[in-house]
Parts: sequence; C-alpha cells; structure tokens
Amino acid sequence: MTFFQAALIGIMSCTAASTIACLGTTVGNYTLNRPLVASLIVGIILGDVQGCILVGIPMQIMWIALVTPGGTVASDLRAVSYIGIPLAYVGAKAAGWDFGGADAQGLAGTISAMTGVIGITLFYGTAMMNLIWQHIGWAQLDKGNMEIVGKVDCLFPLVSHFVLSFLPCTLLCYYGSGAVQELFSVLNTDMWYVKALLTVGSVLPAVGIAILLKSVISKPTDLIFFVFGFACAKSMGLTLLAATAVGAVFALINYQLMMMKAGGVATASASDDDDEEDI
Amino acid sequence: MKKISKKTLNKSFWRWWYGNLTGFSQEHMQTFGYMWAMLPIIKELYETREEQQEKLTTYYPFFNTEPQIGAMVVGITAGLEEARANGAESIDDEMINGIRAGLMGPLAGIGDSLIVGTYIPILLGIAVGLAEGGSAIGPLFYIVVWNITSTWFQKFVYDKGYELGGSAVELIVGQQATAFRESVIVMGQVIVGAMAASWVNVSTSVQIATNSEGEPVMLQGQLDGAFPGILTMLFVLFAWFLMAKKNMSPIKVLLLFVVIAIVGNIIGSDILFGFGSLIG
Repeated sequence: MTFFQAALIGIMSCTAASTIACLGTTVGNYTLNRPLVASLIVGIILGDVQGCILVGIPMQIMWIALVTPGGTVASDLRAVSYIGIPLAYVGAKAAGWDFGGADAQGLAGTISAMTGVIGITLFYGTAMMNLIWQHIGWAQLDKGNMEIVGKVDCLFPLVSHFVLSFLPCTLLCYYGSGAVQELFSVLNTDMWYVKALLTVGSVLPAVGIAILLKSVISKPTDLIFFVFGFACAKSMGLTLLAATAVGAVFALINYQLMMMKAGGVATASASDDDDEEDI
Repeated sequence: MKKISKKTLNKSFWRWWYGNLTGFSQEHMQTFGYMWAMLPIIKELYETREEQQEKLTTYYPFFNTEPQIGAMVVGITAGLEEARANGAESIDDEMINGIRAGLMGPLAGIGDSLIVGTYIPILLGIAVGLAEGGSAIGPLFYIVVWNITSTWFQKFVYDKGYELGGSAVELIVGQQATAFRESVIVMGQVIVGAMAASWVNVSTSVQIATNSEGEPVMLQGQLDGAFPGILTMLFVLFAWFLMAKKNMSPIKVLLLFVVIAIVGNIIGSDILFGFGSLIG
C-alpha cells in the first residue's frame, strides 16, 4: 500500500467516524461508516473492488445493527471499515487465499472484532477533544458572538478528526499493511493458534445478529417470530427477500388486529397505510 | 405578521441534516447542532442583535435524540419561534424546552428501534445479498436507497413539525402509528430469524455413537434431523440472552465467544466445536 492510498483511506475514516462523522449522520455515519459501503470505497482505492467487498461482507454482518442509545457506543466502525478492511484484504492477499473462502472470511471476522475495540477508543477520544471547542464556543457566546456556533459544530471538530481519525487510520494502514503482508506471506495455517484465530472469526456474526435481535425483541414470546423466520430460511429454503414478504403478511395481520382492538377502524385506514409505509 | 421564508426553513433543515452530531461530545451531544440549525430562523425573526442573542439562549439546554426522526423537533420549535415572534404570550423558554425535553426521549426510542434497528439492517441485508460474489451493486443499492429515503423522511417530519406544531407528534406516537410501528417490528423479528439462518453457521463435529454398521453417528446430523440449524439458533439466542437479560456489553459477549471458540478448537475440532461460516 502506498502512502497516498493510506492517506486516502485516512481521509475516508474522518468522513465516517460513527456518530461524529464529519459528513454528518445520514451520509457519514449511516452510509460511509457501514463496512459494506466502505469495502466498495477501499476497493476503489486499493484497486480491487471485488476482493474488498468479499472481505467486507462478514464484517458488515457482524455489525449489522449498531444502535448507539444515548451516545454510548458498542463500537465505532471507522476502525473496522477503514483499518480492518484494508488490513484483512492485504493479509488474505499475501496469504494467497480465496477472498470468499473460509480462511479469508474467518480472518475478516477476527480483525473486525479487534478493530472494533480500537474504534471505541477513537470515538471517546474524538468526543473528549470536541469538549475543548465547545468550551471556546460557550465563552464566545457569552461575549455575544453567535456566529461561533457553526464553527464549533462543524469546523473545529475537523481538528479532532485529523488527530483521532486521520493519523491513526493512515499510519496503521501504511505501516500495518507492510507488517501484515510479511506475516501472512509466511503464515502456516496448520498451526493450532492460527486455526483457532481463523475459526473464531467465523462464529462472531452470531453476536452481530444477536445485537439486532435485541433491538426487535421486547417480550419473550416475540422470540417465536424469530424462530419462525429461522425455520423459513433454513428448513424451507426461503431467501432473505422472500422471508421479508412472509414477515410482511404477519405484520399486516398484526396491524389489523391492533387497529381492531383500538376501535374497529382497521378497514377504514387503508388509505392511511400508504402514507406511513415510508417510515 | 412575521413569517419564516421558505429559504430560511430550508437552510435550517439542511443545517440540522448535516450538523446534528458533527460537534458531538458526551457533555453537550446535539446542543450545538441544534443552535446552528435555529440560528438562521432567529436571525430572520428578530431584528436587533440583543434580541437575537437572547432568543438563542432558549436553545442552550442539552439536547439529544435520534437525530433523523428528531428533525421533527427542530421543525416544531421553528414553528413555535415564529408564533413567539408574532407575540404569542403562552410561548416562553420554559414551554419550548418542555417540548424539547419531553420529545427527545420517546423519539430516540422510536428512531433507534425503527430506523437504526430495523430499517437500516433490512436494507443492509438486501444489499449484502446483492453483493454476493463481490458485486458492487450491493453497496451501490444501499447508498442510493438509504440516502434518498432517509433524507426525504427527515424533510417530511421537519415540515410536518413546522406546520402542525406539537400535534405533529401524533404522526409518530398516535394509535395508528403505534400499531404500524409494532407491526413493522414483527416483520423485523421474522427477518432477523432468516438472517441468522442464512449468515451464521455454527456446527459441531462431536461423534456421539457408532451405528450397527460401524459408521460414526454425528451429533450435528442428529441435531439437524430434529431442527435444521438448531445449534446456530441456540448460539444466537445465547448471545441475545447474555446481552438482553444479563446486560453484558456486545464487546464482552464477543470476547466470551472468542474464548469459547478457541477452547473448542484447542480441545480438538473432533471433540468439541468446529465453527464455520457460510455467507449467502
């Protein structure tokens, strides 16, 4: 990896720094920060879109439902997306693995978990550093300088991003990729600890799905729908989209039941359905 | 009669859309983003600089919610500020902040579970399916669909908030909206089940017995005969149980699973667990 490539990846990590992303919530956090999207961008930078996307998919699954209630983060994906994906790609390539194969997928999962921890540190670091700008902001507001608000909100935090996103991501990608390349080109996958590390990565998606499960289950009986969905896909062989259609039928029945309980207006509400579908 | 111009409302909306969390800190969270979005409105409604400064102090108190659905709150306060500038006496700092503080909790809950916890994962799920084999169509699909629908939705709730004021909340917490929301979550439950079945694969290579012909009887085969993929399902449920019922953080559960997998692997894949993951 050239330094220029590493620096480009470093810049991307600033745009995608979790909730603090310098491109905002919708574009930054919920688009560029997602490993699947990042894998496309890293792929363009490194010149192998297909390989990077294959490496990015297991990372995406692991962190598919990243909710940050009250600003406490389970992980900040900037490190997973813009340190994890490039390093996993370089490693898998050096080892000569098939990017969609079990070894590469396992490696991606393991690196995803490790870089997730780095991400948390970067997140709290950035948030801490932003406090400095806000102190300046309050002082200026007291003096009647209202225009400072915009600078505190989106200009000064760029400094925090430079220190806590750009520098660590660029340096880890640049120096890390060399080290990873050397390590993996001589890696012996028959060693027990290498095997263990690779298999570990492949069990971790279970945790990602469980995080997602937590956000949709409110009472134990809800789990029956989960088991039902599982049986649909595994035993009946439905694809994800087909299972979505089956789920939609149950959603509609549930909606009509609830509206009936609320006063028998279920049939009259058909026109309102369309309005709310978009939510 | 003062009226906020369309241009200023747009400016306020886009400032919120972009800057709601860019200046995040644990102490003030979205407060500065909120002030930045309200600034053009205050500047247009009030003439003297002293008055503008005074009205801006209304928005000093802490604010934090799910920012996308929270665009509605900014819209509501824009409407309130307009009414106040026209001399509505019932609207003071206390009233505006009562509404802000009262809405941010419920809206955060709804936004987190519906947008972040259900809508985004479903979109990503479809995108992962489309990306199979390393196709760029998957991420491109997500980039386009997510940004268009999300931005449209935010503009919609912002405008509704401005037009309808406090009663706009009915759109989100009213009876019909609640029924709709809970029904979408039922769909989410089914989809998560399907995701677990398609993306996670936990298996064991434990041999439990030898049959009459001397061939090994594998635990995995017996389990799958009873309920295909049951081991995978139990692992996901176990991880859910640890997080939801035992309040373990996702990172701790990850580390625990790392330990389980390593121990399983060291003891020997032919004795305990062997894990494998199939994508697609």
